[in-house]
Amino acid sequence: MLDYLGIAYKLVTLVDTITQFAVIILGALGFSLPFGLYIARMISFELRPLEKPLAKVERGFFKLIGIDADKQMTWKQYFLAVFTTSVISILFVILVLSFQNYLPSSQHVNGLSIDLAFHTATSFITNTDLQHYVGENQLSILSQMIALTFAMFIAPAIGIATAFAFIRGFIRKNFGLGNFYVDFVRVIITLLLPVAFISSLLLMITGVPQTLNSSVTINTIEGNNQTISMGPVASLESIKELGENGGGFFGANSAHPFENPTGLSNTYEMFLMIVIPLSFPIAYAKLLGKGRGISILAIILIGFGGLLVFGIYTHPASSLIETRFGSFSSTLFNMISIASNTGAINASLAGMTPNAVISFLVSMFVQALPGGAGTGMVYMLVYVLLTLFVVGLMVGKTPEFMGMKISPKDVKIAMFIFLVHPALILIPTAIAFTTGNAQVIIGEKVTPLGYTQTFYEFTSAAANNGSDYFGASANTPFWNWSTGIIVFLGRYIPIGLMLVIAGSFSSKDRKEVIEPIKTKGLTFVSIVLVVTFLLTALAFFPFLVIGPFSM
Amino acid sequence: MKNKFDRISAIFKSKAKASLNSKVILDSVTRLNPAYLAKFNTVMFTVEIGFFLVLLIGFIPNISNEFVNQNQIFYFETATILILTVWFATFSESLSEAQARARVDSLRSLEKEVIAHKIVNGNGTLVDVTSTKLKPGDEVRVNAGEIIPRDGLVNVGKAFVDESMMTGESNPVYKEKGDHVIGGTRVASDIIVVEITAEAGRSFLDEMIGLIRNATRPRTQNEIALTILLAGLSLIFIIVIGTLLYLAYYLGYKVDIATLIALLVALMPTTIGALLPAIGVAGITRLGRDNIVAKSGKGIESAGDCDVLILDKTGTITEGSRSAVDFIPLQKYTEADVGKAAFAASIHDNSHEGKSIVDLAEEKKFIPPLVERILTSKAIEFSAETKYSGIQFVPLKDIHLTKEQEEQLEEIESFDGHTGHKGDNDKPSIYSSGDFEDMLLNLSKKGSEITILKGAVEAMLIRAHNQVNEDEIKWKSQEISKKGETPLVVSINQEVIGLVALKDNLKENIRDNIGEIRSTGIHTIMITGDTQLTAQVIAKEANVDEVMAEAKPTDKLQRVVEEQSKGHIIGMVGDGTNDAPGLAKADVGLAMNSGTAAAKEAANMVDLDSDPSNILKVVKLGKQLLMTRGAITTFSIANDAAKYFALLPAMFMTENPKMQILNVMHLHSPQTAILSTLIFNAIIIPGLIPLSLRGVKFKAESPQKTFIRNMLIYGIGGALLPFVGIKAIDMILALFFG
Repeated sequence: MLDYLGIAYKLVTLVDTITQFAVIILGALGFSLPFGLYIARMISFELRPLEKPLAKVERGFFKLIGIDADKQMTWKQYFLAVFTTSVISILFVILVLSFQNYLPSSQHVNGLSIDLAFHTATSFITNTDLQHYVGENQLSILSQMIALTFAMFIAPAIGIATAFAFIRGFIRKNFGLGNFYVDFVRVIITLLLPVAFISSLLLMITGVPQTLNSSVTINTIEGNNQTISMGPVASLESIKELGENGGGFFGANSAHPFENPTGLSNTYEMFLMIVIPLSFPIAYAKLLGKGRGISILAIILIGFGGLLVFGIYTHPASSLIETRFGSFSSTLFNMISIASNTGAINASLAGMTPNAVISFLVSMFVQALPGGAGTGMVYMLVYVLLTLFVVGLMVGKTPEFMGMKISPKDVKIAMFIFLVHPALILIPTAIAFTTGNAQVIIGEKVTPLGYTQTFYEFTSAAANNGSDYFGASANTPFWNWSTGIIVFLGRYIPIGLMLVIAGSFSSKDRKEVIEPIKTKGLTFVSIVLVVTFLLTALAFFPFLVIGPFSM
Repeated sequence: MKNKFDRISAIFKSKAKASLNSKVILDSVTRLNPAYLAKFNTVMFTVEIGFFLVLLIGFIPNISNEFVNQNQIFYFETATILILTVWFATFSESLSEAQARARVDSLRSLEKEVIAHKIVNGNGTLVDVTSTKLKPGDEVRVNAGEIIPRDGLVNVGKAFVDESMMTGESNPVYKEKGDHVIGGTRVASDIIVVEITAEAGRSFLDEMIGLIRNATRPRTQNEIALTILLAGLSLIFIIVIGTLLYLAYYLGYKVDIATLIALLVALMPTTIGALLPAIGVAGITRLGRDNIVAKSGKGIESAGDCDVLILDKTGTITEGSRSAVDFIPLQKYTEADVGKAAFAASIHDNSHEGKSIVDLAEEKKFIPPLVERILTSKAIEFSAETKYSGIQFVPLKDIHLTKEQEEQLEEIESFDGHTGHKGDNDKPSIYSSGDFEDMLLNLSKKGSEITILKGAVEAMLIRAHNQVNEDEIKWKSQEISKKGETPLVVSINQEVIGLVALKDNLKENIRDNIGEIRSTGIHTIMITGDTQLTAQVIAKEANVDEVMAEAKPTDKLQRVVEEQSKGHIIGMVGDGTNDAPGLAKADVGLAMNSGTAAAKEAANMVDLDSDPSNILKVVKLGKQLLMTRGAITTFSIANDAAKYFALLPAMFMTENPKMQILNVMHLHSPQTAILSTLIFNAIIIPGLIPLSLRGVKFKAESPQKTFIRNMLIYGIGGALLPFVGIKAIDMILALFFG
């Protein structure tokens, strides 16, 4: 009898979650349409709405930093620009964090140690936002604003610009990859800033604080004084979700009532997290064919849906039920957050079922369901290339994409992108155990759970995700340096390689013949899904089996 | 006695076969050399390293206490299977090469060599040598009907040379001292002495030999890309296994190195890694079976990618020999008149065309009068200048004439019909009453010279001056063209009687063959010197997409360049010297063995049968080759899922009962699970050797259909088969392990 009740409960909550999910997805899809069309215009340099005033503002910026806006970049120049911008930003963030005690409104916090500053800087600039600190205790308001909120605009802008360059490589021969600085400035000023601004206001309506006071002291009913930390949360929160950053103002991230006060804010934050990733397939549809874009969108939604169903299917242990938003809704939030590479969580990972953790890990292995701002789309196209190559020969022709032959060089680079990820996850995990650094945190006796936590940390770092089990407990030199380096490599090696592919395709001949394998439609969608999951499973299956599966 | 001989020869044959087999085995064993594998087959090299490691552990089990915990025999069993896996790979390689070499040997006999009559000592002594032995500066005598052995200059004599196989120009070309002649062309008349100017081309079979040896074979783009993919996957698995060793150890599992090596070998794409070299060589062998010599692997691969085919009409689509199909009279005459006149005009014409006219006339019982005179008449030979041929004779005086004929003759007396020069052509033709027989008799009676000709419309119109109804002839010839046929005008003296329709027959099955090729998405272009009208009709009959009519020989190259600039992969056939640039430029250039040395040099394939429609076979084969590679790659990767389900429970089940869920195959024991997975992994290689040598079947269908079918067979099938196979082997092993 009890079993039936359990099943009924499960069904009801499942239906509830699916409804909630459907509302968010439909809402996000509805918004991603105008966003996607807008992004398409940015990619192909077409007139945008309000082009004149926007262009004026942009031109002012270009002049200010001295950019020749008309100069087209090769993949090397583009990557160099990405890299330099990133390194300069990282150095800036490191400086601010290390010397925050000398800066105004320091609230008597200390400067961060160099390893923590390095880790935080690389982590935020690479759109990862792993946090080995507790924001409300260790950072000043100024650091949160000029270092972290600043980084949260830089990071997605770099990812989105990369996707712009990548997609341009496919549009037509010798179209050029564009100019990084132009893309970068435009993305920040005409995409991220306005949406983030409006979103901050909306979040403030739901109750997210926005103040320059670092705390407020109140007299509780019991008569004691309680100091409640706060600050410019709303401005950070909006870009945190919109830019798939995920670094919370508070250590508890979106589980904190000031970051995510109500069910409404919860839903709105989920919406913000996936709206840009879902806009890219739309932009792609606009630029390279409606069917193709819709098929990519279908791959993302089906893949994501599959992971979600798998993740919420099992009933969590009663002691771990999350009460604030409900365990299923929390899983949904975390799933959306992790799958979009945001990494903000509204309930601790420790409360998640093994199935949910497997879903989280798989979405970080794939990084494209829908993945981070811009980069998710690029990863998806890399999977498409690999899939077309693996199965494409079976048609009896050299595999093609968009009427262009996939050359050995393209296969090499795509394979490299695919290879970097397991290498950056597995090797450091093994090192963490053999050097005993993992055991420092998870305890001497290695359990599947402890192993999973360690494995998760590196997976999150390599995938530039940012969700983790460790949090501030990993604030040791080993973890700061190791994950700091991995987020860096996990970001810039793939971006560099993606730009190589874009460069290679941008110079290829295109021909107008029937595609040997249609890059749209049901067959395409299912093949890409199967091959993507198969390749991912081949690389990671044993590690899931000994980890979350055995928890 | 004969029986005995047969038996002996049978023994010899089987011995030869046995020696071939033992040679293959010996060769495959020498290829187990790690240095060789490291260089040419990294996947198998990795497996071999695994073999050495397991063997080492087998001999020294106490090398490690933590990572070695199986019984000693198990290591030897594992090692045996591993080395067998490698040997199956080298065996497939050796076998495919042996087959290819056997093919080359049998092709040697087909490689074209012409016997040339070399003039020695300058005094006219002739020595017969093969064309390959000629050096520039040598002089050779070429008689009528013989092939000019190599490019050169005419030193003595003049002759008509049939260069149709080179230039497509069907009329023999006049050559005299100082003219350049092309090797491979045929002297149609007379005798010339040619001074050889070209070097002997290197035998293209030698180039083919270079292609079939794994060690010397240049890798094609697709092979390189596949090798990278396989290397990438292998590297991932090495990282996976390497880190799994540590992580599992820290999690408290008793991990055995041999088990991990087994997992690594099972996961690595060994199937495609083993068969990749054999597939490439088999493609070349299969081409050889169609008597086509590949000079580069790239050519075959491009054949699969080919999306535009430029086909010559003559020889490729049509037989190249036109036959008469119809006699079309001008207004005043009957079909019989035309037939009889054409018969007469063709009586000395030994070409296929001429014979077909006689045949058709005989079939229709159109026998001309005065046959005996016609038979002994003087032949007017066809020449490139005049473009007509026929007969000329002076009739005997003693012909018996009927009364009517006499009367007619009276009328004729007032004219001078036969000289047919200007001055008398304003008047209506004397023969306007029609009837070829009467005309002939009248002329005979008169005793004047009679010329009966047939020839190209334009040429004949010029010859007939204004004595004919030009509009009618043009109109009727156009009607013939509309049917895809070629008109010939037949005349007696200056009077045009009618036209003969010649039809160039389509090659057998060409419509179906082109249809098959087109269904895979290839654009076919027919190129011809014919008029647009004729060309279009033939194109329609042959089912080609596009025609280039009234094309000049240079148009071919131009078209190749044009299509390539649009990113297309072009296939073309050629044999003439002026085809050479096009053949060199085209991605797939198939030269005819009957063609010039220049063409054969430029092309990347040579058809020893000299059948241009073989290009279609080449395209199919290229597609098969790529399909086979793709299918086995997909199969190999799809296999891996099952191997995880077999090996992971085997590795972890003892310590972690939860792993039992993954043991979907319910394998007998960890040991049998590992061995059966490895055995399956090994025997799938010889199991797929026939497929890799034969190739995946080509079907005429849209690429999308091919894709879905192959995906179902090799993708889904490849994922399911190992579950069945491993389970089956495990059940057998369970009998021994108890």
